[in-house]
Amino acid sequence: MASRYDRAITVFSPDGHLFQVEYAQEAVKKGSTAVGIRGTNIVVLGVEKKSVAKLQDERTVRKICALDDHVCMAFAGLTADARVVINRARVECQSHKLTVEDPVTVEYITRFIATLKQKYTQSNGRRPFGISALIVGFDDDGIPRLYQTDPSGTYHAWKANAIGRSAKTVREFLEKNYTEDAIASDNEAIKLAIKALLEVVQSGGKNIELAIIRRNQPLKMFSAKEVELYVTEIEREKEEAEKKKSKKSV
Amino acid sequence: MAATFFGEVVKAPCRAGTEDEEEEEEGRRETPEDREVRQQLARKREVRLLRRQTKTSLEVSLLEKYPCSKFIIAIGNNAVAFLSSFVMNSGVWEEAGCAKLWNEWCRTADTTHLSSTEAFCGFYHLKSNPSVFLCQCSCYVAEDQQYQWLEKVFGSCPRKNMQITILTCRHVTDYKTLESTGSLPSPFLKALKTQNFKDPACCPLLEQPNIVHDLPAAVLSYCQVWKIPAILYLCYTDVMKLDLITVEAFKPILSTRSLKGLVKNIPQSTEILKKLMTTNEIQSNIYT
Repeated sequence: MASRYDRAITVFSPDGHLFQVEYAQEAVKKGSTAVGIRGTNIVVLGVEKKSVAKLQDERTVRKICALDDHVCMAFAGLTADARVVINRARVECQSHKLTVEDPVTVEYITRFIATLKQKYTQSNGRRPFGISALIVGFDDDGIPRLYQTDPSGTYHAWKANAIGRSAKTVREFLEKNYTEDAIASDNEAIKLAIKALLEVVQSGGKNIELAIIRRNQPLKMFSAKEVELYVTEIEREKEEAEKKKSKKSV
Repeated sequence: MAATFFGEVVKAPCRAGTEDEEEEEEGRRETPEDREVRQQLARKREVRLLRRQTKTSLEVSLLEKYPCSKFIIAIGNNAVAFLSSFVMNSGVWEEAGCAKLWNEWCRTADTTHLSSTEAFCGFYHLKSNPSVFLCQCSCYVAEDQQYQWLEKVFGSCPRKNMQITILTCRHVTDYKTLESTGSLPSPFLKALKTQNFKDPACCPLLEQPNIVHDLPAAVLSYCQVWKIPAILYLCYTDVMKLDLITVEAFKPILSTRSLKGLVKNIPQSTEILKKLMTTNEIQSNIYT
């Protein structure tokens, strides 16, 4: 049945599926994992760095992009589609600032991106964007926000979420480990993001890229060394926890 | 003929039979050239089973030459990686032979010198216990070649006192279920066994209307017909290329009777698997 209703985006199948949108969600799963965490005073975005070819300039392969000074996003899926969406979102951020003389709220820019994506699920001759995005930032009221959009054009606010390859495994880890204690301090929130990624990242800390936004501060991208420091700390804590466990059982 | 909404013309199958049957009869008669081309193609697509050292063809089927009590077959790159890192790493395995075949899926047109770095099909036995046999098949065996492969490996009258375990992968979108694929816990394992396989499977059985395809289906059908106990472990995954999490989804099989005793050092196997992953990564900039 799928083969007769999956060619055109504007055609529903008899049981109500829009197959092209569902296939676009499969394209998202081909991108590497991205995780977003909303802490109390911080928002964290962590991504699995794709391995870069030897001759390729690493700086041109970025999964985390700033949309404005106070908003940034990570995506998973088709690189080219992401570039188009990010460009449009950045223009919209500045246009909003010039028109209304206020920076965009995180919800506004998320809604803009989601509306853009939805338009492409209802136009003839176009296909949906094959990306999901995690958008984080702080509004003027100082509240941290994390939103997720997907190719169908829906968006939701989350406390913590993951997209891309193995997103389900990471989300299950977050469901178990996202507690008030875990996000009590900025460092703990950062460690939670790294721990979630380490569940699925293949070669450990050197393949993780991290970005944070603290209240009233601009986006900060972590260097590889800084990420490595956190990874070492996490491993040390793990060892200590295991030692304590073995002591208890003895 | 039928037209669809988008203007494409679709030929509808007609059970009444076509009107111009006589004309078709004439066209169906084979000329000598046709016969020659057909024979050439059949020779090109022949499945050859070669001995390890001499690279000459085996006269008898593989299992007639090397009778075994346990035969583990891995089909597909993730299943092959699982056996390479967990099973072949824990013991000394000797190559017993390999199968060479060509079909349209092969990247090279050269049928005689298929390189060993490309898709391959190798057979190994455990040095310390030659009745344990292993097959790693990462090439695609086409429908017309499956029977040949079975004959050359199992023979036309196989023994019944062996146990076959088949491991393979399939994309999760092929899994027919009422749930949406987004909510499935992929990768996950399903099993399908022949009537004579009495041991319990380490995962739920494959439900209807799901079916098995390609070489794994051919082997399982063959075993069912010849009453050989066989079980297929099918891993549904959303990453068909070589992937760590997909390969690790096969781990529950290590505790079954088929593989127990064959795997000794699991942490070391995981390290070897990680190394396999990094060496096999293909660069692609389409998805980030």
